Amino acid sequence: MIISNKAAAKDPEGDVIYQDLVKSRFSQAESVRVGKLLRFKVKAAGSLEAQRLVQTMCDELRIYNPAAHQCHVSPGRLSE
Amino acid sequence: MIDAEWSEHCSYKSSKALLKTLPTSGSRVLLGPGYDAGVLDAGDGCVVSLHIESHNHPSAVDPYGGAATGIGGVLRDILSIGTRPIALIDVLRFGNIGESQRSQWLFRNVVRGIADYGNCVGVPTVAGEVEFDESFERNCLVDVACVGVGRRRDLVLAQAKNPGDIVVMAGGSTGRDGVRGATFASKSLARDADSERSSVQVPDPFMKKLLIDSILDALETGEVKGMKDLGGGGLSSALPEIASKGGTGVELDIRRLSLREPDVTPLEAMISESQERMLLVLDRVRHKKALSILRKYGVPATIIGHVTDDGDITVKDGADVVARLPADFLANPPLIPRDSRAPVRQSDWVEPESPPDLSKVLLSLLSSLNVGGRRWIYEQYDHEVGVRTVLKPGQADAALLKLPNGRLLAVKADGNSAASALDPYSGASGCVAEACRNVVSVGAEPVAMVDHLQFGDPGDARVYWGFEEAVRGVADYCRGVGIPVVGGKVSFYNEDQLTGRPIKPTPIALVAGLVDKDERFVGPALKGRGDRIVLIGKTSMELGGSAYHSTVFGVQNGVAPRPSPQEDRRTNSAVLRLIRAGLAESVHDCSKGGMAVALAETCMGRSIGAEVELQGAPATRMGPASLLFSESHGRYIVSVRKPNLSKAGGLLARARVPYAVVGTAGGRSLRISLRGRRLVDVDVAKIIEGKESSISRALGEEQ
Repeated sequence: MIISNKAAAKDPEGDVIYQDLVKSRFSQAESVRVGKLLRFKVKAAGSLEAQRLVQTMCDELRIYNPAAHQCHVSPGRLSE
Repeated sequence: MIDAEWSEHCSYKSSKALLKTLPTSGSRVLLGPGYDAGVLDAGDGCVVSLHIESHNHPSAVDPYGGAATGIGGVLRDILSIGTRPIALIDVLRFGNIGESQRSQWLFRNVVRGIADYGNCVGVPTVAGEVEFDESFERNCLVDVACVGVGRRRDLVLAQAKNPGDIVVMAGGSTGRDGVRGATFASKSLARDADSERSSVQVPDPFMKKLLIDSILDALETGEVKGMKDLGGGGLSSALPEIASKGGTGVELDIRRLSLREPDVTPLEAMISESQERMLLVLDRVRHKKALSILRKYGVPATIIGHVTDDGDITVKDGADVVARLPADFLANPPLIPRDSRAPVRQSDWVEPESPPDLSKVLLSLLSSLNVGGRRWIYEQYDHEVGVRTVLKPGQADAALLKLPNGRLLAVKADGNSAASALDPYSGASGCVAEACRNVVSVGAEPVAMVDHLQFGDPGDARVYWGFEEAVRGVADYCRGVGIPVVGGKVSFYNEDQLTGRPIKPTPIALVAGLVDKDERFVGPALKGRGDRIVLIGKTSMELGGSAYHSTVFGVQNGVAPRPSPQEDRRTNSAVLRLIRAGLAESVHDCSKGGMAVALAETCMGRSIGAEVELQGAPATRMGPASLLFSESHGRYIVSVRKPNLSKAGGLLARARVPYAVVGTAGGRSLRISLRGRRLVDVDVAKIIEGKESSISRALGEEQ
């Protein structure tokens, strides 16, 4: 699960990385956004169920604040 | 644009007429209400600025970001008149954190938001005040005040006086964040507050630090003719204000704004409340130096328009005019007359019999959330950055800061929601009285205040009555003691949508005081064994809204304490004379929890006990519990070295201030008797333990 500021909101940390580091060396880069990564290991019948389960956990436990953040859940492999 | 600028948040349409009744002038006042901050003459060309803001609604949705951007907002107000922010003061209200998960979440994150922002931006948080009451369960209050210092000649006003001058946007880029924030703050919180997504702003304290330094540096060029921070309502509020004050108009091209996203519409750009932005009016010819200074700091600065002589705000999108409105029309919305109706109250309150063990009552009061220590909160704040802080949180009744001219500035904010709910007049005048006492307790003379009045929906006649009473209370008290109100803020629509109940009325007063060069200042703690303890001021039966009532009986009823400005004026000046004459070793005022809690607090600093006999204490007739826990105003506990006692007594008698020598410092416990009968006997160690652990215990963090 990746938590980041909502797309429309500012991202000061990403801005600093972009403005002070990336922009001057790599003109192809247009912006940088920073987020927080949470990796869950869950028991589930399949990746879709796992994805739903993690989404439910994050919503119910307020692991992110829906007013300020967006969260993106995607399934990965156990070995990761 | 009209929606934003005419919102209650920006326009004060329900409150302006009443606020005009507040006394605003005084010998030190350079700028009063109506500007971004009040400004006082601190002598030698040095000025002090004060302002208070709230960020209640954003904090209820996103406590961390809401509180942090609240700090950001009040810092901008101090900056926008050309002064440097030097200290923050926060006043917070939450539900019962001992019982409610939501309130815990709000509380932890609001404190963290204030700490992170203040610490990063390099402005110390030096004082504050907190109360917990279930009426704030879903509508917490986050008030942040800021004081600044500067030089009189560097003051800048929020006005655009000269047609032809250029208008510059400095700082962050404009995005969709905070769109409709002012309108958002002017309504009650919706049932599903999480869906108010566009109103959340992201704090960026490092950009703010650059903005502060670069703008203060740019002021040195003399090229800055006017300045205004972009807060509630964004450009659509800031532009009419600078034009209306200067008697001019402004034309701007929205396309010149540095936008964060490509598809921001002109409307969104005009009402965006993106953080860390300042509007500068620069000289039409000489503006290169100022612009290059801003850019040297890496602060983006774009010329977005110019001052005109037509009195209109003209918004262009490239060549197209997308809005044109008279500045005066936007800046001066029609005022709304409101109905008010006093609530019917039953007056048959009978004081319940007190529990037999008053030592136990005292301990339970000391460890209750509303009286207990605030270390859990303030230890998260940096209170020394800037190296101006002389007295820190927890050390004294008010914070003391060193000014560049050698004087000391004392600041403290206070409020009492329980008393204000019973009697808004007494509650509001009482919070001014308490803040004044706190400032006096360290040895400073109160010189000015700002207030913050927070209520429910002004359309509710009972709520509006409370507001009227609170304004009357502040006005009468300030006139009586001779302290001007140099600014303030009103926040309406603070109510719980789930239950439909408004918050308890919450007037807040922030008082600033000055200690002259080389004058003494003192703390609250008893200093030496054998020092005599003097109780100053009279105790009346005023337990309404007291900590005793809510802790012991779980009720808030009865007569709320009402301060007397005439008596307070005499008492305060007598206490100041005691301190200046070097006769007072320590001074502490009596407030929440009454005389008994105040006595216990004086024992804490150096772990010195006291032996007290209340027989001679100036008081009306009442039972022992009432005497110990009544929250009458105008009272101090002063310790005096034995050889100085007669001099101190003479000074108080000449000032016609009621007082009594009630005890002696010493021992390891606080013992209070009345006519020989022991009422309280508590170990100082237990006092300290109870008082310091209240918040962590409520949060379940006790080891």
